Amino acid sequence: MIVEPRWASGVCAGLHAAGSRHVVYVPDNPLSHVLRILRESFPDITTTLATREEEAFGIAAGLYLGGARPTVMLQSSGLGNSLNALTSLLVPYKIPALVVISMRGDTGEWNDAQVPMGRAVRPICDAIGLPHATADTPEETAETVRLVAQTAFGTRLPGVCLLPRRLTVPSKATA
Amino acid sequence: MNRLDATRLLVAALAGEPIIASLGHPAYDLFAAGDRPANFYTWGSMGLASSIGLGLALARPDLRVFVADGDGSLLMNLGSLATIGWTRPPNLVLVVWDNGEYGTTGGQQTATAHGADLEAGAKAMGATATATVETEAAFVAVIARARVEPGPWVIVVKVAESMPTVKPPLDCVFIKQRFMAAIGQPEAATRGGGA
Repeated sequence: MIVEPRWASGVCAGLHAAGSRHVVYVPDNPLSHVLRILRESFPDITTTLATREEEAFGIAAGLYLGGARPTVMLQSSGLGNSLNALTSLLVPYKIPALVVISMRGDTGEWNDAQVPMGRAVRPICDAIGLPHATADTPEETAETVRLVAQTAFGTRLPGVCLLPRRLTVPSKATA
Repeated sequence: MNRLDATRLLVAALAGEPIIASLGHPAYDLFAAGDRPANFYTWGSMGLASSIGLGLALARPDLRVFVADGDGSLLMNLGSLATIGWTRPPNLVLVVWDNGEYGTTGGQQTATAHGADLEAGAKAMGATATATVETEAAFVAVIARARVEPGPWVIVVKVAESMPTVKPPLDCVFIKQRFMAAIGQPEAATRGGGA
């Protein structure tokens, strides 16, 4: 039996508490835990797999126009794929979404190809005006996700919750 | 039939159904054919009109959602056809104005001018109701079916470029709020940040 990590349960609880019932995503390894919990424990949440992150933001925009509170989940590498959608659709039209980003390229990264975008995630969010916060511990993940969503849907902007690798990747020292 | 002629036929065939328009000439022609609150004009995000339509169709199964896309735009987001084929919303109607060129950027040819078949692609990706039409009569007939028969529909309309001369409103938030009110989902009534 798989014991789901607490941070992943926190993501699910936080987005559900924020009223989000639609999750559009491009998967990565840590997010697979979130998706499994959503599938098994949150029957009122619909998940939709997009072929690419930019497409996910387009779908999320349409969901919002229809009255939903969309969540978009992606790996940080996909933020680059998302920029035209964010800067020419969601931001100028003031279309909010909760954006959950599983980080690569930060502390603990082993793959050099992940580092440049990982380093750029926060500066990019600042440059295009997206509020962002980082879930640093499993205990605070649910509340961080919920608060990011509150800011996003309250101020009508995509709001970003970052999940660092130190949160999502099990430590070999303690495992 | 040019794209403006075809867009006029589309607007005339619909009642209050929402139309999501791809940026540039498809949006300009939709405005010229008939500005209406249920028109959502995009001013950027090339390629995403079909994705916006998909999201709206999933959120509002009670609405029949029309998308006025372009061939160049859809070619930029072909993965959207796979997602539409997978999620298969019966209430989504994707109309693709196929003029074989990037009309908004100066008329460079698209892949459809060299054999790419968007209807075949849509069918291959799982769209259940598809058509390619070249005449006004055929277009009017297929739109009448698409308003009532289950989709997802992908309708490729072979058109000539129409060289639009007018543009829709530029205020993105105005476009959004007018649109949401028109489909019975006024943004002011949506819940804000509090859960």
